[in-house]
Amino acid sequence: MKNLLNKELRLATSPLAWVFLAAAMMAFLPGYPILMGAFFIGLGIFQSFQAARESNDILYTALLPVPKRDAVLAKYLSVCFFQILGFAMMTAVTVVRMTLLKDAAVYRTNALMNASPVFLAFALLIFTAFNVCFLGGFFKTAHAIGVPFLTYGAATLLLVGVGESLHFFPGLRFLNAPGGERLGLQFCVLAVAACVYALLTALSCRASMRRFERIDL
Amino acid sequence: MNVLEIQDLCKTYPGFYLDNVSFSVEQGSVMGFIGRNGAGKTTTLKSVLNLVRPEAGEIRYFGLDLAKHEGEIKKRIGYAGGAVDYYKRKKIRELVAVTRTFYDNWDESEYRRFLNLFSLDENKTPAQLSEGMRVKLNLTLALSHKAELLILDEPTSGLDPVSREELLEAFRYLRDQGVSVLFSTHITSDLEKCADHITYIAKGRLIASSPLADFLRRSAAEGAGSSLDEIMVHYEKESLYEKFAE
Repeated sequence: MKNLLNKELRLATSPLAWVFLAAAMMAFLPGYPILMGAFFIGLGIFQSFQAARESNDILYTALLPVPKRDAVLAKYLSVCFFQILGFAMMTAVTVVRMTLLKDAAVYRTNALMNASPVFLAFALLIFTAFNVCFLGGFFKTAHAIGVPFLTYGAATLLLVGVGESLHFFPGLRFLNAPGGERLGLQFCVLAVAACVYALLTALSCRASMRRFERIDL
Repeated sequence: MNVLEIQDLCKTYPGFYLDNVSFSVEQGSVMGFIGRNGAGKTTTLKSVLNLVRPEAGEIRYFGLDLAKHEGEIKKRIGYAGGAVDYYKRKKIRELVAVTRTFYDNWDESEYRRFLNLFSLDENKTPAQLSEGMRVKLNLTLALSHKAELLILDEPTSGLDPVSREELLEAFRYLRDQGVSVLFSTHITSDLEKCADHITYIAKGRLIASSPLADFLRRSAAEGAGSSLDEIMVHYEKESLYEKFAE
């Protein structure tokens, strides 16, 4: 698996995947739906899949002395690696916004989602959508990336819409409490999202392994 | 001892059926795999590499079931499907640096030897090579990990006559070292120079799998021709004139 991950990073990963990690910094933007940063990180990973498809990466990998299912696992792990990097960067921005910048006027009057554990929870749900919709869809054919990406885009728009509007409902204001208020509840939401991410990613990976075994390359 | 045994392999595509194909490759032999375009050669080779999933049949290498020992088996075999068609914009050096990590038995000196033999420059990308040179690169990769069986799909197509002769010599050398070679080709004169065995497939069905000399003798006795070209034409030529007239 170590060799496959090395192959993913050295051959299959597009430089754009690294560049798009900078979208995590969008969490600093006031008056902007900052969850889109998570979407853009997915867009960067998508670029890798596009470049890898043009390079016949799947055929190259299938000919290596590894079981076919390991090729799928390596793809999932490399995607998770980028998502965790992006998540770590978004977490750093969130901590800065919740501590050093908590009294900044632009953030106190921000009508949209604040950088908080709930924001991180929704970012994880967007990553989950990528793993289920895009990765799961890609491994149905191992070459088609258009429809899986559109599905991911639609799921992201839905999640951003829900994330940006939920806190306007009575009783759910805590979801957007800025500057460290209602932290306990917010961390509960983050913990649930982390479980959803881990569980659905694992299930999607298992389904993809099964599908990939049946695909004719 | 057989290094590869294929038993009752079946695969259906729209308009094509690979029909219970069975044959085996002996250790230290060169087997030519012939048939006209669309006969099922590539489907068979892809099936034995687990690139396509057959509906039925058993594939065993070195006595091991492919489905259960895929990783282990692929370390002991080499595959070259014509020219290198992947990562064409990466430098060969970079591609090899990654590829070699997958093989415990990678032989750097053998790799260097084939690089020199085929005049390949590691600092070039496959995209900068001609089709023939990319075939040689693929063969270099396959030969550098001491594969016990080489599976080659049309390895001589795109090669100039000198390179083709070098390659056939390489096959003979490898056979003498105990390596087995299974290769498909349209260029039947190549087979007559180096193949010990022949497997002939037509419209998804196995016509023959036997020692080359036996096959030629039998075909000649049946009046099918004395060379592989004549035999293939005898079995498969359909009158185009009649088809046009229909």
